[in-house]
Amino acid sequence: MSTHVPDGQEPFDVEDPALTRFDLVREGARRDGVEIVHYKPRFPVPGTKVERRIERSIALMLVLCGLFALAFVVAYIWWPWEYKTGANINKWYTPVLGFTLGMSLVLLAVAIITWGKKLLPEEISVQERHEGASTPDEAALTAATIGNMGDELGIQRRPLLKAAVLLPGLGLGAAAVAPLVGGLIRSPHEPDAIFFETGFNPKFNHGQPVRLVREDGTPIRPEEVSVGGQMTVFPGIPGGATNKWADSPTLLIHLRPEDAAITLENAKPVNEGAQWGNFVAYSKICTHAGCPASLYEQQTNRLLCPCHQSQFNITDNARPIFGPASRSLPQLPIGRDAEGYFIATSDYRVAVGPAFWERP
Amino acid sequence: MSSGLRLVAALSLFGALYAGFAPGLQSASAEDANGLSAAAAEGKQIFDNSCISCHGRNAEGVPDRGPSLIGVGSAAVEFQVATGRMPMARQEAQAERKTPHYTREQAAQIGQYIQELGGGPQLPSGEKLRLTEEQDLAKGGELFRINCSSCHAFGGGGGALSSGKFAPTLEHASDRDMYAAMLTGPQNMPVFGDSQLTPEEKMQIIGYIQNLKSDQDPGGWGLGRLGPTSEGVAIFLIGIVGIVLATLWIAGKS
Amino acid sequence: MKRRKIDLAALPGASAREVDERLQVATPLRRLFNKVFPDHWSFLLGEIALYSFIVLLLTGTFLTLFFDPSMAEVKYNGSFVPLRGIEMTKAYETALNISFDVRGGLIMRQMHHWAALLFMAAIVVHMFRVFFTGAFRKPRELNWIIGVLLFWMGFTEGFAGYSLPDDALSGTGLRIASAIMLSIPVAGTWITTSLFGGEFPGTEILPRLYIVHVLLLPGVLLALIAAHMGLLVKQKHTQWPGPGRTNSNVVGVRMFPGFAVKAGGFFMLVFGVIALMGGLLQINPIWLFGPYEAAVVSAASQPDWYVMFLDGSTRLMPAWEIRAFGYTIPALLWPTLVLPAFLTILPLIYPFIEARFLKDRASHHLLQRPRDVPFRTALGAMSIAFYMVLALSGGNDVIADKFHISLNAMTWAGRIGLLIAPPLAYFITYRICLGLQQHDREVLAHGVETGIIRRLPDGRFMEVHQPLSPVDEHGHPTELPYAGWVVPKKMNRLGAVAPAIRGFFFPIEKPAPPQPPAGPAEVETPERDEVTSGHR
Repeated sequence: MSTHVPDGQEPFDVEDPALTRFDLVREGARRDGVEIVHYKPRFPVPGTKVERRIERSIALMLVLCGLFALAFVVAYIWWPWEYKTGANINKWYTPVLGFTLGMSLVLLAVAIITWGKKLLPEEISVQERHEGASTPDEAALTAATIGNMGDELGIQRRPLLKAAVLLPGLGLGAAAVAPLVGGLIRSPHEPDAIFFETGFNPKFNHGQPVRLVREDGTPIRPEEVSVGGQMTVFPGIPGGATNKWADSPTLLIHLRPEDAAITLENAKPVNEGAQWGNFVAYSKICTHAGCPASLYEQQTNRLLCPCHQSQFNITDNARPIFGPASRSLPQLPIGRDAEGYFIATSDYRVAVGPAFWERP
Repeated sequence: MSSGLRLVAALSLFGALYAGFAPGLQSASAEDANGLSAAAAEGKQIFDNSCISCHGRNAEGVPDRGPSLIGVGSAAVEFQVATGRMPMARQEAQAERKTPHYTREQAAQIGQYIQELGGGPQLPSGEKLRLTEEQDLAKGGELFRINCSSCHAFGGGGGALSSGKFAPTLEHASDRDMYAAMLTGPQNMPVFGDSQLTPEEKMQIIGYIQNLKSDQDPGGWGLGRLGPTSEGVAIFLIGIVGIVLATLWIAGKS
Repeated sequence: MKRRKIDLAALPGASAREVDERLQVATPLRRLFNKVFPDHWSFLLGEIALYSFIVLLLTGTFLTLFFDPSMAEVKYNGSFVPLRGIEMTKAYETALNISFDVRGGLIMRQMHHWAALLFMAAIVVHMFRVFFTGAFRKPRELNWIIGVLLFWMGFTEGFAGYSLPDDALSGTGLRIASAIMLSIPVAGTWITTSLFGGEFPGTEILPRLYIVHVLLLPGVLLALIAAHMGLLVKQKHTQWPGPGRTNSNVVGVRMFPGFAVKAGGFFMLVFGVIALMGGLLQINPIWLFGPYEAAVVSAASQPDWYVMFLDGSTRLMPAWEIRAFGYTIPALLWPTLVLPAFLTILPLIYPFIEARFLKDRASHHLLQRPRDVPFRTALGAMSIAFYMVLALSGGNDVIADKFHISLNAMTWAGRIGLLIAPPLAYFITYRICLGLQQHDREVLAHGVETGIIRRLPDGRFMEVHQPLSPVDEHGHPTELPYAGWVVPKKMNRLGAVAPAIRGFFFPIEKPAPPQPPAGPAEVETPERDEVTSGHR
């Protein structure tokens, strides 16, 4: 049993007492297609100075590794960790954890790798690759087996079954997809206008014009916005400042009189009558990718979007003058109600936010 | 309701402080021939030495050099001079913060002069213009995020504006600097007058920013609080470079 | 008195026999132990990604214990004072709680994030290695394809994770993602409302992204990684050319213990670096961003680095919107969907294109030095240049701000750079490759430059070369053929003063003649090249 005769090689008796263990290793490797061509212990004479030094340094690293790991646990349990504002010892909790854990792991790594590099024997082994395709015989046998499967099923001979098999394939495929698609699908046109209306539409306020309000819901009088100032406003409806109305945030700008005159003069037909006095209100949602375009430069009257650097000219219908945006920011027509607060006289006249297929 | 009360309290506090200091200033100043207080007269002298070349006689402005300062108020002057932005070294896209040329007192004197010339917004007195109670921090943070962070960034480090302009970092800004900036809207910064952001709200924002600046990062070194850009640089310069150097050692023959 | 019945010394052997009687594993196990791996630093790059992935699984599992992706509104009442009393989603609240109210939660979050960045970075660097050395060639095209898929799966997985905390930065990113979906012609609005469960942001998207992030994509990644490594084992590793190395063998060390020890140590090292970064370098401070609100944004809003190139392409894209017949194709479509589609398809089919172009149907297991295939190296450099321009443009506002450059100038520099830098990179790289090749051939023909200048009797000066080959009767060296591997170019790479750490960069392995079976104590004198022998 113990005698194995590989092709073209001498018989090898595993139980031959004359063989060392390394002979067995070599033989095992050979049977796995691996030839150990160079094998040399690093320290043929055990206990030399160099070897002991390496052993000591590895041991030191392992000890330090363990100590750092212990330090991690100690810090984890006893270091004060609750958040306190300012600069204090608690703020060092995470750095201390990271340092102790990291050092422990790195030391372990260095110890292991040093062991592998310095103490393991030098070795060069060569393994055969058995490159390329299977032998023609093998391929032919497998091909026949596969071909036989078809014959056994007899698909070719039975055209009725061939046709009939298609249907469950299609049907079950569709059945697998249907729940996923059907569960997820939501029509963008149901209700019809979700992409075309915002919270400033009077229909969300019982048909009354919607006030412009601050984030906390308080309405705004014209004198409350400084000249050369801007204010982010929201529709004055319940929850108008929440993400439920993510299309509605609007930038209300109080222009200097000379800029307001230019703006009025430049107004395109779609923006006729949208300006109120020296005040203009533009959608804060960038027409490019939907970020809040809110970096208002009060002297140059430019509005910059911080995501992709589109720049809009406030005094010319918020027309894009630089960057990837191709559409003007929609202007909200504004006015004042009887109590003197800002209102939107109607919803935006064009869809706000980024462009999409159905948008003219 | 409580915020309203607190507002009243804050206002009356600063009113009292102002009443305490201002009359002293006023009474010490015999009015000179131009009808200026002593402080303003000092300010006029500095103005006539250093500012007049761009801002013109009586601060009426010189076309293409410097704007008229009538009506900008002492707050604007104090901001520009005390942060070293004025006098400008040269005409450029945007005046930058630099070592101030004049002391705060001198800046206040020029401010007083401009104030007496044409009026305008003024700063409340005192060095600490901030509110730092717990609810102030939260409210200030909310206001900061909606009004300020779009230009000055979430960490207050500033950011780029169009064509070479930029929103400066708030790192060196004092309470008075920030208050004045909000009040007057220097350069391209929008104006946040007292009717838009109340003095209390301004001080809440300042409280939040100062807390942000002094709050040590809990997660280690903050990488300049620049967001994913510096994190991306770090993973390559520290993570990948460090590990690749280690692979050279690991795979190298000993 | 009887001693113990069980002989402890025989226990391992006995239990091994019991196992083998049932599973018959002796042979396959030994085959695995004896598998040979080549040793070169560049073969470890992919392992970084593997180990990062394991760290991601460990830390990610911890995070799931405390995170709730719900978008229900709550009032924050945790430890982080500046946000107390603020309305936010449950997702953001629990993400804050992990950072401040779970002991050690912050370091787990930070390690998770750094590991994700490292995972993607390692994939990219590993991909460079595979590309530039031609390791993707037949028979490894399938593994190359799996690698490309792994990149895109990791990309999606990373973006989903970045979106989950629902802070202002991630919400802004998600909003851009919704705008990108909207830009798809015909079906854009349908896809968007279906995925978001209505209009952006809705209340569905985070729970959906969560299950994608913690179940679906990790499963896909795990399967792809298993296939990637299964193919590696099946097809065996490529190797650099060198003495004794052929297209039909692998020269290296056996997997156990030599390779396994190094790999295990390397895992600990990667783990340690991630722990150090996770503790010492703050990443994604969500508490500074505040909760996501549609009206809130910060200057310098960027995605994580691996998405930044798409942010850059979006920034550089001119405002070319197509409008016709009442329909619109937004400009956003081209840089965010069409470009990535090209960037997926091109690498997927590149191995086949190159093989067809070179009429190369052979299998390759020996790697090529980048200089030896100038067109491929130049193509790679060109792609990297293209990518770098995009990635830098993704952070162009930060660069503009910190280096006082005009933002508009940065955008234009990016647009022009995108057209100029890649061809320039191609040309320069091609030239450099040819130059390096030529120098290799020169050294092989004339020998190593010694730096010794000798004056000839007729007054000319010439440098003395140390020939690498035997000289003929006239003293001229015979020209050596190029072997596709490092040519020694400095005297200290030769002979007695060879580098102290041999193979630090270039493992120089010399197969000794097969030894007769002997004990492990055999000692072999290493063969050293002598300068004087002039023989190699």
